[in-house]
Order: sequence, then C-alpha cells, then structure tokens
Amino acid sequence: MRKKVVAERIFSIASSPERIWRLLGKVIFSSLPEMENIEILDENNFRAILRTRLLGAEMSLKVKGEVIEISPLENLVVRLSLIGPGSILEIDQRVSFVIKPMGKGETTIICEATVDKIGRLSNALFMRQIKRFAQGTFSTIEKRLRDLA
Amino acid sequence: MAAIPEKWDLEYDVIVVGWGAAGTAAAVTAHDLGAKVLILEKMAQGGGNTRVCGGNIIIPKGKEFLEYLDILSFKTTEPEILEVFVEEAMKNGDWIREMGADVQVFRPLEVAYPTMIAGAGFPHVRGAETVVKYNIKGTLEEGKPSERLWKFLSGLISKRGIQVLTCTPARELIRNDQGEIIGVKAEREGKVIWVKARQAVILTCGGYENDPWLKWDYLPVKPVMFLGNPGNTGDGIRMAQKIGAELWHMTRLSCLIGFKAPEYEAAFWIAFLNEGFIFVDKYGRRFVNEAGIEIHEYYRELSHFDIEKMEFPRVPLWAIFDEQTRRKGPLSRGTSGYNRDLYNWSIDNAAEIKKGWILPGNTPGELAARIGVDSQVLEATITRYNQFCRAGKDEDFGRPKEDLRALEPPFYAIQLWPALINTQGGPRRDKESRVLDPEGKPIPRLYAAGELGSIWGYLYQGACNIGEALVFGRIAGRNAAAEKCWD
Repeated sequence: MRKKVVAERIFSIASSPERIWRLLGKVIFSSLPEMENIEILDENNFRAILRTRLLGAEMSLKVKGEVIEISPLENLVVRLSLIGPGSILEIDQRVSFVIKPMGKGETTIICEATVDKIGRLSNALFMRQIKRFAQGTFSTIEKRLRDLA
Repeated sequence: MAAIPEKWDLEYDVIVVGWGAAGTAAAVTAHDLGAKVLILEKMAQGGGNTRVCGGNIIIPKGKEFLEYLDILSFKTTEPEILEVFVEEAMKNGDWIREMGADVQVFRPLEVAYPTMIAGAGFPHVRGAETVVKYNIKGTLEEGKPSERLWKFLSGLISKRGIQVLTCTPARELIRNDQGEIIGVKAEREGKVIWVKARQAVILTCGGYENDPWLKWDYLPVKPVMFLGNPGNTGDGIRMAQKIGAELWHMTRLSCLIGFKAPEYEAAFWIAFLNEGFIFVDKYGRRFVNEAGIEIHEYYRELSHFDIEKMEFPRVPLWAIFDEQTRRKGPLSRGTSGYNRDLYNWSIDNAAEIKKGWILPGNTPGELAARIGVDSQVLEATITRYNQFCRAGKDEDFGRPKEDLRALEPPFYAIQLWPALINTQGGPRRDKESRVLDPEGKPIPRLYAAGELGSIWGYLYQGACNIGEALVFGRIAGRNAAAEKCWD
C-alpha cells in the first residue's frame, strides 16, 4: 500500500528552533493524556496503551513506537504500530515533525501523519476516526507549543 | 602487606583485578601486545557497573572538549591527564570498530524526569558542543545499550581465550624488596591462592558504592544507596592503601535518586514520565526545581545539612505524584540498574502500591498521615504548587512552565534516597595510568583504570565513565605489557 497522508498541520510560532525542539518531545507526550503505561525500552523504542473511543466504544490500543529519525533542531520521525483488541484494528503509522527556522525569531513546524499499512476492514471502519484523532492531536500540540514557547 | 610466597599457584604476565569495561580494555590491549593475561573477578559474573549502566560512551567531536573538562574538573585533575583523556577518547570509536563492532549516536527523546540527555550535562560551559555520546550499534532485539556493550566487551575476552577466574576476589597486592608489585593474593573456593604477575597488576575493580563505612565517611550526603553492582565494596581502595598509594577524588560521586526496597540489595532508579510530581523533604516542603536537576548530580540538592536539627532534612525525600503520573508508566525502568534483571516493575505501578512501596492517599492529609509528615504542611505545599501551575510560574524554585502540571487527587508518595551510579574516588594515578604514592611517585608495576580512582574530581559528564574506562584501560594495558619481566 502506498503511504497515505491522514493529517497535516503547518504553523509558525514566535520562538527559536532550540526552544521548540526542547518542548516538542514533552508536548507530544503530554498532548496524549490517553496514552498510558508507557514503557521506555531504550532511547528509540517504547510501548504504551492508548485509550480511545472508536465506533462509540472505549478501546485500548496497544501502541509500539520507534523513533526512526531524530535530528535535533530539525526533525523527528516516529513509526507507530497500533493494534486493537482481537486485532480488530491494525495500523502502521508514521508521524513526522519538521522544524524550520524562518528568521526574525519565527519557527515553522510541519506535522504530518501518514498511514503506511492498514487492513481493508480497519480502513473501512476506522479511517475517518484515525484522521480526526491525528488532526486533533496536531491541533493540541500546536496550542500547547503556543502556550509554552 | 602480604609476604612473598614460597610457591606461586598461578603465573601470568599481567593480572587484571576486576572485569568491567576498564578491565576488558586493559586485558585485551595487554593480550594483543603479547602478554599472558589473567582476570580476577570477585563476582559470579563479570560486567560490574558496565553491564547495568546506561551503556553510553563519550567520543568528543573536538579538542575543545578539553576546555569543558577543565572547567568541570575545578582543577582537581591535572590538565595533562585531561589532555590524554581527550586525545584518546576521540579514538574510542576507532578502537571499537577495530575490535569488530560499531557505534551509533545516542539521541534519546528527552521526555522523562530525570532523563538521559543526548548532549552535555552542562550545556552553558565552554566546549559543551563537543560532547557526543554513542552506544554500541544495534537494535533493541540485540539488547539494551548496556547489554550490547557488555556483549561486545565480554566477547573480546572469550574470542582471545583470556582466562577469567570469577568468584575469585583479590585480597592483597604483593610487593618485593624493590617496592615493585609482583603479584596478587586472592581467594578462591575458600582457599588462598598466590598469583604471580611477571610484568604488572592492573586494578580495575570499581568503587565503593556498596561499602557503608566508606560511604558514610567520605560522601557529602548520608546515607546513600546504590543502583549498580553490589560487588563494588572498595576492595581496590584498601589494597592500594595497604601498599601506600595516595587517594584522590574520594568525595566525588555520580548520584541519582532511587527507591530502596528492603528485599533488594540495590536501589531502583526512579523517573517520572509526566510533569505531575514534586519532591518534598521529611517535613513536606518543596526544596528544588524538580525538573532542573542534572541527572548525575542529585546529591548536590540533597546534601543540605540542617545545623539546628543536626540532620539531612532531604534524606530521605518523598516524591508526591498523582493519578495521571501513576498511570503514565512505570516509575522504574528496566533499561539500567542492577535490579533490572531481578524485578519487573509493573507498567502502571499497581503492583508496587500493593507491595506498599508506593503509598496512596485520596487527600493531601491522608497521604501526609501515611508518610508521617504534618498534614497542614503537605496540603499547603500541594496547594501552593498547584497555584503556580495554574499561573504558569513557579515563584519558589523557577520550575519552567512546560514542566508544570497541577497535581490532582488521588495522590501517591514514594520514598526516595540519593542513589549512586558510582563513586569516583580511589588510588591517584597519572596520565600513564600508573598508581602514585603520596609523593607523586609511581608505584612500580601497578596500574589502575575505570571507576577506581577515576579522573572525575568535581562535576561529572555523562557517558564519560565508560569512555574513561576504555581510554585508561587501554593505556594501562599498553604500559603493563611494555614492562620488563621481573623474574
């Protein structure tokens, strides 16, 4: 399957790339209060449980995260595998954050979430909610970065 | 000092006492230069602190690293030693590649409190930009960084067939009439064994993290627990003292915070995956920006001594946290520490609540009663902290706004102690890794490397203990192998 962009958000903040980079990791984690039981396995890998509502029901998704690219002050790319109960949902996602200094104390942040792999049933049942969740998370990240920067 | 035996039980060219990173680098180097090497290891398995540490290795990217170290050392280590360290540390990557492995840059997501950071521990200091940490290249499936490091290092020993005697603690150094160190008295299966060293002895047997008396006497905060290898009981220090070595850096330490369960010898390293926590002293008062402590320097915040009360009011301290933090993830991670292989901390901390390691309370007053502090004080502390969180400004300790989140009930508390990663002191040595006497003269045929008498005399930069162990291990091995045989 070709990768499919499910959410994108580009915004600029009056702050330095250094400050944005310092905040980014913390903000990502704190913008997902539903993500719990995080096990940091090493500097690049973590496991967690994501509690969310899908199709009107509360669900716990198993999350496996791998930082596949990390260039301080420039970009961060995380590969996420999400598995729902009874494998009702299986999805491989990639989330990237690119930081670009724009001069005059402005920094642009480009957030993108793509789906690399998703089953046909999951696609039919959950794609709309996956998009909404990713867009909502990016929106929270933007708001939190603006508050803190 | 042990007398020279009439008969030696074993004869080697070079004896290495202690088998961690420094011992391996020393043994491998001496062996590759033609020496017949024996490693004596007190514990049942090798690795010492190396096996359970963070697994990172310093490879500085420029000679400006020397400026950084000079400032950190606060003139407690001679510049010529630091110069050699910098020069050789820049070759750490080449050495590892030459030995058949490779390295990768350590770039963590810095999300925990405290966290291992990618760069310099003191980024404002000149030369800090040269700090680059690496670990042995590999995937999680190949092990955590320290597991990969130890697999690589121990593999170098087995590939060469270098003999290792485990469960064999060295007890004394043997000196001849010329003052040369010519062997080691050790203990094996309850019997004394005498091991001749035709060329030299290299001490690489770690610090004194698990020696209550040495810690009580030397360290600036009391008591202090440890996170690493329980075998580090100051043996090398005593052996070196007996033959007249000078000691240095004895009051220096690398120290985190840990929880000490009575049924475990070592403490558990504690970190929080969420902003919702504070530290309070024995009386329920905050005392620090909890998010701003350099990871290796916790003892500086905990060593405040109250002259009126004649006590360390921050030892033990209590971490107070809330439900969101409790659910966020395990307070103790399985990435490093001696207990890593002995206990799996539950991912939601529920098992530790059941065990009574973490104490719950629905209100500050209830929690205060559980931990034995004044309920009004703890309530006032939490209320004030929460006000700061809502205002986005910590007026007491300047905790940054991104690290503030108001605590919401139910609350939890865990008792914490200063917990050693390692001590830094031991026999003084020179840039050639030779152990020195109080007059600054080398004790013939005696070398030391690693955590035992390390070069860290004041502030410590993370990833440098392993980096230093490899550097001065190699130097000690090289020089030991170059000694002429005495018999």
